Amino acid sequence: MLNIRKHKVIIVLIIVLLLLSVILLFSCKKEDPTPPPYQTTPYHIEIPFGFPTDLNIPADNPMTVEGIELGRYLFYDGRLSGRTHPDSLMSCSTCHLQANSFECGIDHPVFTGGFPHGITGKPTPHVMLPMVNLLWNHTGYLWNGAVQNIEDIVWMGIVAVHEMNGDTNRVKELFQNIPGYPELFHTAFGSETITMKNIGRAIAQFIRTFISANSKFDNYLQGKVQLSPSELSGFILFTTEEGADCFHCHGGSGNPLFTTHLFYNNGKDSIFTGPFEDPRDRYHVTGDPMDYGAYKATTLRNIAVTGPYMHDGRFATLDEVIEFYSHHLVWSPYINPLMHHINNGGIQLTPSEKNDLKAFLATLHDEVFLTNPAFGPPEKFPDDK
Amino acid sequence: MKLPALFGFFVILPVIVLLATGCKKDKPTDEPSQQTLILQFDFLVDGEGLQADTMIYVNEAGNHYMVNEIQFFISDVKLNHSEGNIYQIQDSKTIHYIDSDLPETQSWHVSDNIPAGTYSSISFIFGINEEKNQSLIFPNPPESFMFWPEHLGGGYHYMKLNGKWLDENQQVRPFNFHLGIGQIYYSFPDSISGFVQNYFQVALPNSSFTLEKNQTRKILITMNIENWFRSPHTYDHDVWGGMIMQNQEAMKMACENGADVFTVIIE
Repeated sequence: MLNIRKHKVIIVLIIVLLLLSVILLFSCKKEDPTPPPYQTTPYHIEIPFGFPTDLNIPADNPMTVEGIELGRYLFYDGRLSGRTHPDSLMSCSTCHLQANSFECGIDHPVFTGGFPHGITGKPTPHVMLPMVNLLWNHTGYLWNGAVQNIEDIVWMGIVAVHEMNGDTNRVKELFQNIPGYPELFHTAFGSETITMKNIGRAIAQFIRTFISANSKFDNYLQGKVQLSPSELSGFILFTTEEGADCFHCHGGSGNPLFTTHLFYNNGKDSIFTGPFEDPRDRYHVTGDPMDYGAYKATTLRNIAVTGPYMHDGRFATLDEVIEFYSHHLVWSPYINPLMHHINNGGIQLTPSEKNDLKAFLATLHDEVFLTNPAFGPPEKFPDDK
Repeated sequence: MKLPALFGFFVILPVIVLLATGCKKDKPTDEPSQQTLILQFDFLVDGEGLQADTMIYVNEAGNHYMVNEIQFFISDVKLNHSEGNIYQIQDSKTIHYIDSDLPETQSWHVSDNIPAGTYSSISFIFGINEEKNQSLIFPNPPESFMFWPEHLGGGYHYMKLNGKWLDENQQVRPFNFHLGIGQIYYSFPDSISGFVQNYFQVALPNSSFTLEKNQTRKILITMNIENWFRSPHTYDHDVWGGMIMQNQEAMKMACENGADVFTVIIE
C-alpha cells in the first residue's frame, strides 16, 4: 500500500514539475525581447508641377517612413559627433538650418558671415550649398560634384576635420547605447546593430524629403497668382539673352529646379589669381582644363536666405551678386561659353533692371518649405522621457 | 514475328514522323519579322571629327572659332518608301535629343518594327514642329535644359551650339548659336508682336537603303558643323555677335544654312 501511495506521489510530483516547466518556458518567452517584424512603409513622393520625374534614389536605399523618421532624429541629434559633452555636440542641423534653406546663412549666431567651421574651429573649404530638392540632383554633391551620393556626404560630414571630426566607432557605439535608437534602426533597416552605412542611409532619406516647390513663382506657373509688374520684368530679364540671361544655367519655367546642377566657370577670377589654385574646383574632378574655376550652379530657390554667395562666399548680399554679373565679370580662357556677355564685363543692367531682377528672385522664396514642421527638429529624441 | 514489329515501331515510325515534320518546314509561314533601325550621330568639321574646346577652325567668313558643345533635337523622321508611301518613325517619342557630350544620346535604337523594303530617302525635321513644341513636354534633363523661355515663344531650343571665336579685335569671345522660335518685335526688346517657327525639313542626300526581313541596319547621320556658317549665307560672328535667340534675322539665316548641314552614311 505504501509503495502504491509512494508511486502516486511521485507521479503527481512529475506532473506538477512538468506543468511548472511548461509555465516557466512560456514565461521565459514572454520576457525575451523579440524585436517586432521588419516591415517598412514606402514613402510616397508627389512630384511638384513641372518638376522632373526622374528621381535620384539609390536602389539600395529606398525611401521609407521608418527610415525618414530615424534620419530626422539623427539629423538633429548633436551626439552624431560621437560626443556627449554639451560643448562638443554637433549634428547636421548645427550648420544646416531649415530657415536658411538648410544652409547656415549669413546671420548665423556662431558662423559669422555665413562661414562655417568644424567642431575644432577649422573652417570648411567652401561655404555651404542649399540642401533643397536634392532628390533631383544627378551630378554629384559639393561645389565640384566630387561625391556621388548623399549617403557618402553624411559619412564625410561625421569624420571630416572641418566638420564633426568624429570617430566612426565612437559614433556607432554611442548610438548603440542610446535607448530607443537600436529599435529604430531595426524598424528602418532590419537590424539593431548600428552601422555607419545605415546612419548615412537614414539621414539621406530624410534629406531627400526636402522639397521646395511652393514659392510665389510656383503658384504663378500654375496660374494661381500674378506677378507684380516689377517681378514680371525681372522674370523676363532672367530668361532673355538680351536681358540678364540667367536661365541657361539657373533654369526657369521649363526647369523649375532653378539650377541645371551643372558646373560653370562664371567669370569670377582670372587664371593668374589664387582662387584658381583651388583643389576643389570641377577641374580636380574631371581633369578637363575647361573646368578650371568651374563650380556647381546653385539653385536660386530661397536665394535670399542662402548667402553668402559663390563657392567662397565672396558676396554677402544679392545686390553684390547682381552687381558682379552686371559689371565685374573677369575673362579667362576657361570662361564658360554661356557667359557671352563677358567681353562687356557683364550684362550691364540699369539700376531699375537690377531692382526688377531682385524682385523676381524674391518670388522663389518658399516660406512654406522653410517653416514646414516635418523638416524641423523632432519634439523629443528616442531616449527622452 | 516480334522483330519486324519492333523494327516497324522504332525505325519506320520515326522516319514517318521526320518526313511529316520535314514537309511542314517547306510550307510558307507567316512568322513575324523584326527589322531594326539604329540612327547614329556624329559631328565633323571640314571632314574631320570634331575636336572640341580647341581654336583650330576657320569658318567661311574667316572667323577663327572653337566648338565647346552641341545639343539639338530632330523629330518626325520619315522613311520615304520607293513605292511612294512614307513610314514615319513613331518610337516611344518622335523627338530625339542629341548631345555632343553624352554618347548615349548619339545612338538612337529606334524601337519601331520598320517594315522591310526599299526606301529611297530619309528626311526629318530639324528642331520640333509647332504642334509638338510645347513647354514642359520634357520634364527631365538633359532635354528639359533645352527649354526656350515662354516670353520668347516657349517650347524648346532646336539647337544650342556653344563655342568661342577670335573677334576682329583679336579677343576670344563666346558665341551661343542658339536656334528656336523667333520673335517679331514691335519695340525691341520689350514688345513682341509675333513669333516665327524656324524649324525646317532636312532631306538627307544619298540616303536610299534596303531593309531586309529581320535585318538591323545602322545609319550614320553627320552634322557638318562648318556648313552652319557657309551656304547660302556667309555667317560672320563679328556681325552677329555672341547671342541670337532674340535676333530673328540671324536665326533665319542660320536655319537656311542648315539645309545642307547633315549628310548620311548607310552601313
